[in-house]
Amino acid sequence: MSIFEGTGSVLVGIFSLVMTLVCYTGAKYAYGKFKFWWLSPIMLAPLGIISLVLLLDIPLASYFQFSHLLTLMLTPAVIAFAVPIYRERHLIAKYPLTLSIGVVVGLFLGLISSWGLSKLVSLPPELSKSVLVRFVSTPFAMEATSSFGGVPELTAMLVLLTGVLGMMICEPIFRLAKINTSLGKGAALGASAHGVGAAKASEIGEEEGVVASLTMIFTGIAMVLAAPLFSQLFV
Amino acid sequence: MPVSRVTHQSEPNSSFTRGDHAKASLASKRNGKLRLMLQTLVQVSLFCLLAVICVQAEQYFDLPIPGSVIGLAIVLLLLLTKTIPEHRVSLGSAWLIAELLLFFIPPVVSVIKYQSLFENYGVQLMVMLVLGTVFVLVGTGFVVDRVFRFERRMNRQRAQALLASGMED
Repeated sequence: MSIFEGTGSVLVGIFSLVMTLVCYTGAKYAYGKFKFWWLSPIMLAPLGIISLVLLLDIPLASYFQFSHLLTLMLTPAVIAFAVPIYRERHLIAKYPLTLSIGVVVGLFLGLISSWGLSKLVSLPPELSKSVLVRFVSTPFAMEATSSFGGVPELTAMLVLLTGVLGMMICEPIFRLAKINTSLGKGAALGASAHGVGAAKASEIGEEEGVVASLTMIFTGIAMVLAAPLFSQLFV
Repeated sequence: MPVSRVTHQSEPNSSFTRGDHAKASLASKRNGKLRLMLQTLVQVSLFCLLAVICVQAEQYFDLPIPGSVIGLAIVLLLLLTKTIPEHRVSLGSAWLIAELLLFFIPPVVSVIKYQSLFENYGVQLMVMLVLGTVFVLVGTGFVVDRVFRFERRMNRQRAQALLASGMED
């Protein structure tokens, strides 16, 4: 029994969009104010909205009617990454080898580990196909996942989980594996936890943050460009 | 690209007298936030327009490269050739990147559809995600650590060689 029964679905759609914006802004505001990691918008906003959709019994079709417009913004967001690349052109010119090796190694380790583990652990094809692109930033992952036969919605969720995971475990891992340089930390975070990792990296240090962002952007671009080829290799 | 023409940077007008100028700067401080918001809005709209054009081009010409990456290449090229100055696009770019999370909340919400999948395979999935992430973090970090130390040494040697050859002249 839905409380929206009898209400026009357009209204429910508008309500869903407003609810999404309010939850997102609220989570951002709360995090800015209190800085607890569990208030981080990346956890709170999706959880809050999913709970509301379930509690209010909003049909997914109505939820998406207008909210899907937000997802369309992922394409201009990819284009927007041109500006940070341009801004950091001097760092790119200074460490071309380190940065490109970071991108290539990160991309391949991500693909191989996802592919190998999905062979070891038996998962249904929707999951094992969607998991392949989980290390690259969402706008790129959503673009690339169809080449592998992945499901965009599952991919978005897996990318999010991967990012949060990388952010949470990176510091003990760096200590244990004796990864000390700023470029090492930055590249590792950018390759394994994309945007969330880049945010974490800029908390560790400025150079770490820049390197993580660059690694994230370039692995994303490389993944999108090479996805048709990779989908032949990693079946 | 029309990107460079549309936004207006606030230039202090030289024809103002001093008093006018003080008043104007006060007003501009008050308007500053609004102006920044407007500039951001215009720049974001231009990024969206370019995105639409690039995606249409991708579909029309059946290009193997996605429209988003074509757009990125175009903007980067325009910036590198100084056709558009960075400050004409930096606000819009910063906004789009900062609000990235908002844009993928809707697909994340739709995992409700796949609830049973996560209930049945949740544990295997988490084990897999953790192992994979540790693998990529350690592998990438380890390799890049070594390559970085090597490249830093190379850069220093090159700098020293340059310095030495400069002294010989």
